Amino acid sequence: MPDGSNQDYTIDRIIHEPARLLITAHLYVVESADYVFLMQNTGLTWGNLSSHLSKLEDAGYVEITKEFVQKKPHTMVQLTGEGRTAFDAYRRQMKALFEDLPEA
Amino acid sequence: MTNRLVLREIEKKVWFRTFEHGMWDIGIGSLFLAFGLSILVDFAALSAIWVAALLPGLLGAGRKIVVPRIGHVQFRAQRKRAKGRLTGVLTATALMGLAAFMFITWILKGTPPSWAQWISKHFVIFIGLIWGGALAVTGWLVNFPRLYGYGALMFGSLLITDFVKGYHLGFSLAIVGGLILLTGITLLIRFIRRYPKQEGTLMEPDDA
Repeated sequence: MPDGSNQDYTIDRIIHEPARLLITAHLYVVESADYVFLMQNTGLTWGNLSSHLSKLEDAGYVEITKEFVQKKPHTMVQLTGEGRTAFDAYRRQMKALFEDLPEA
Repeated sequence: MTNRLVLREIEKKVWFRTFEHGMWDIGIGSLFLAFGLSILVDFAALSAIWVAALLPGLLGAGRKIVVPRIGHVQFRAQRKRAKGRLTGVLTATALMGLAAFMFITWILKGTPPSWAQWISKHFVIFIGLIWGGALAVTGWLVNFPRLYGYGALMFGSLLITDFVKGYHLGFSLAIVGGLILLTGITLLIRFIRRYPKQEGTLMEPDDA
């Protein structure tokens, strides 16, 4: 298990958390999405989603923008370039980690 | 929470969900129904009135029904390109329609060869081929499999119209349009039951 000494297996803990992994995976395959979309597709509650998105925003992985749709404020979420790069790196790291495991 | 996490599957699932609400089917169905009715009542402007008045209303209503239930999503470049190709197909269909019209006009004016006379006699089959083909190609381009069925239904229906004497093109289009419209309404009812409206979700908690 990585302990920080082996840089090859350093897992991004921001993305690694299951709920945030689901959020980033869904944002990775689209251009941008709103809160309702993310709630429906990840199964997270409003509060949970909001809290995880704040963490991803603090890490610079997502960008949250507010726009008006039918005169109502509408919040869209988009994976930033940094977030996309981090998700790609996470995928590569996890793949390498499991490929290195010996056959059972 | 979802257990399977396959990126390609996620994207596909999200894309298919944009067709789950049946609003596309209602739009396509009512368009063909309007075509059929305008032929039956001999009032060509009916289709134009539908496009000008009903279509924007339908789009607005669709947005009001769909967005609060499944949210709003913008797709990546690959899907956007598919929509661009869709515009190409629609333009090509319109040009083919124009070409068919000019062809028929040419046939009626002169003394065309026998094969051209045969085409003018069975023009309904060609309309079926153009519209049915356009529906099927659109289904392939935007990855919307129901359109294959609608394309086959359209072609089959117009083929029958051509062979059954006294069976009117207007009836055929109205029946096909009505069936697509009914499918859309059924899908919409199922969609509304499956995805209840998320109250207040257009706003963040801070905005509420």
